[in-house]
Amino acid sequence: MTPSKWRTTLVTVLTAAVFNFGVMSAAQAGIVSTGAIVSAERDADLASIRGQLQRADVQAQMQEMGVDAASVDARLATLSDSELRDMAEQMKNAPAGGDVLVLLGAVFLVLLVLELVGVIDVFKKVPAR
Amino acid sequence: MIAPRQAASVLLAACVLLLGGCATRGPLLEPSSRAVELDATPFFPQARYECGPAALATMLGASRVAVTPEELEKRVYLPGRRGSLQIEMQAAPRAYARLSYRIAPELAAIVAELDAGRPVLVLHNYGLPFWPRWHYAVVVGHDGNKDRLILRSGKTRRQVLSARNFMRAWDNGGRWALVVLQPGELPTAPDNRRYLESAAAFEGVASAQDAWRSFDAAARQWPEDPVAWIGRGTASYRSGALPRAIEDYRAALRLDATQVAARNNLAVALLEAGCVAEARRQIEQIDTTTLAERMRTEVLDTRRQIESRPADAGTPAAACGGATQ
Repeated sequence: MTPSKWRTTLVTVLTAAVFNFGVMSAAQAGIVSTGAIVSAERDADLASIRGQLQRADVQAQMQEMGVDAASVDARLATLSDSELRDMAEQMKNAPAGGDVLVLLGAVFLVLLVLELVGVIDVFKKVPAR
Repeated sequence: MIAPRQAASVLLAACVLLLGGCATRGPLLEPSSRAVELDATPFFPQARYECGPAALATMLGASRVAVTPEELEKRVYLPGRRGSLQIEMQAAPRAYARLSYRIAPELAAIVAELDAGRPVLVLHNYGLPFWPRWHYAVVVGHDGNKDRLILRSGKTRRQVLSARNFMRAWDNGGRWALVVLQPGELPTAPDNRRYLESAAAFEGVASAQDAWRSFDAAARQWPEDPVAWIGRGTASYRSGALPRAIEDYRAALRLDATQVAARNNLAVALLEAGCVAEARRQIEQIDTTTLAERMRTEVLDTRRQIESRPADAGTPAAACGGATQ
């Protein structure tokens, strides 16, 4: 990372930390969310600071992947702690469903190759009338 | 020339291989099952890379949420990946007051959901091991007699796939399948942990009322599960129904007295209800030395809040219900 990128990341992390802290303490003073109970059952000690680092990390990755800044927060708001953790780790490699037209192109390509090699004969000439 | 004996063994080997192949070639769907097709499921033909938003709009539409793929694009499409991630597909319905629930990775589970009137979102992989092509589609029907499934997929409103081809693409996609639930609605054969995780993730976004409905369904389904009662209690707390919240937290503690979160939340609710002495009695029962950091911080915070309050503000002890726990 370049120094300026480091600085951007740091600022994002700190902003997120401050922002989250404020929201958490304002919304429900003292109540432990059911989400925290469910995730605590899975891994015993998830320090909240780690969660905030992950949040900032996912934020930065999303913007890098072309999501506009205005949508990033709305998207992160719907994620649970464990989903956020998974996002931070898998965003670059997890399956991303989307692309079915390229698939058709690929099938066409395979058929074309098979045709040219002479294995199959599907692209018949339309007989001249 | 091949010796007859060799030929015979080759033939035998071929038979064994073919039989091996045949053995798995039976129908995948129960032939006797009645055919189901959820005709009313809407359809949104996908744009270029956007099967994710299109499939999700279909799912939400079937759950009576009117939303367009264009709007969902802002929630689930990742330009850098030219597609949508499973995690975001799973998270997005929460923004529309819906829970998402991952069903068991079995064809029978898909059929059961369809029979219950819910379409199923699946991730397919039509590519090769070294060149995966991921695609979201929505299963809207099954026909056991013809051993095939009906989907809304890509630009095709009614795609008919043999169960075999469906399974190949679904297997390669990791057998990921999701249903969208209304608050209070349970999937068929719900798994306790998976449903509560869904409801807990929903809690963070949902209105207090919707969260209450989701956990209320869980508490009815699994009355022995303290987490379901805690969730319902917290929803009541959020809507200001303190007596109901206190009652539910106590129910959780009766099932499991070691539920620190339940006791902490109970203390908070009691404090807010003006039952300072009872709140103090509850919070002091928690041994903070053995707690995970996050929970300890919460408990110590609650304790500080209680200590900063003057002793009972005159609420009658009976209203605070200290006798039972």
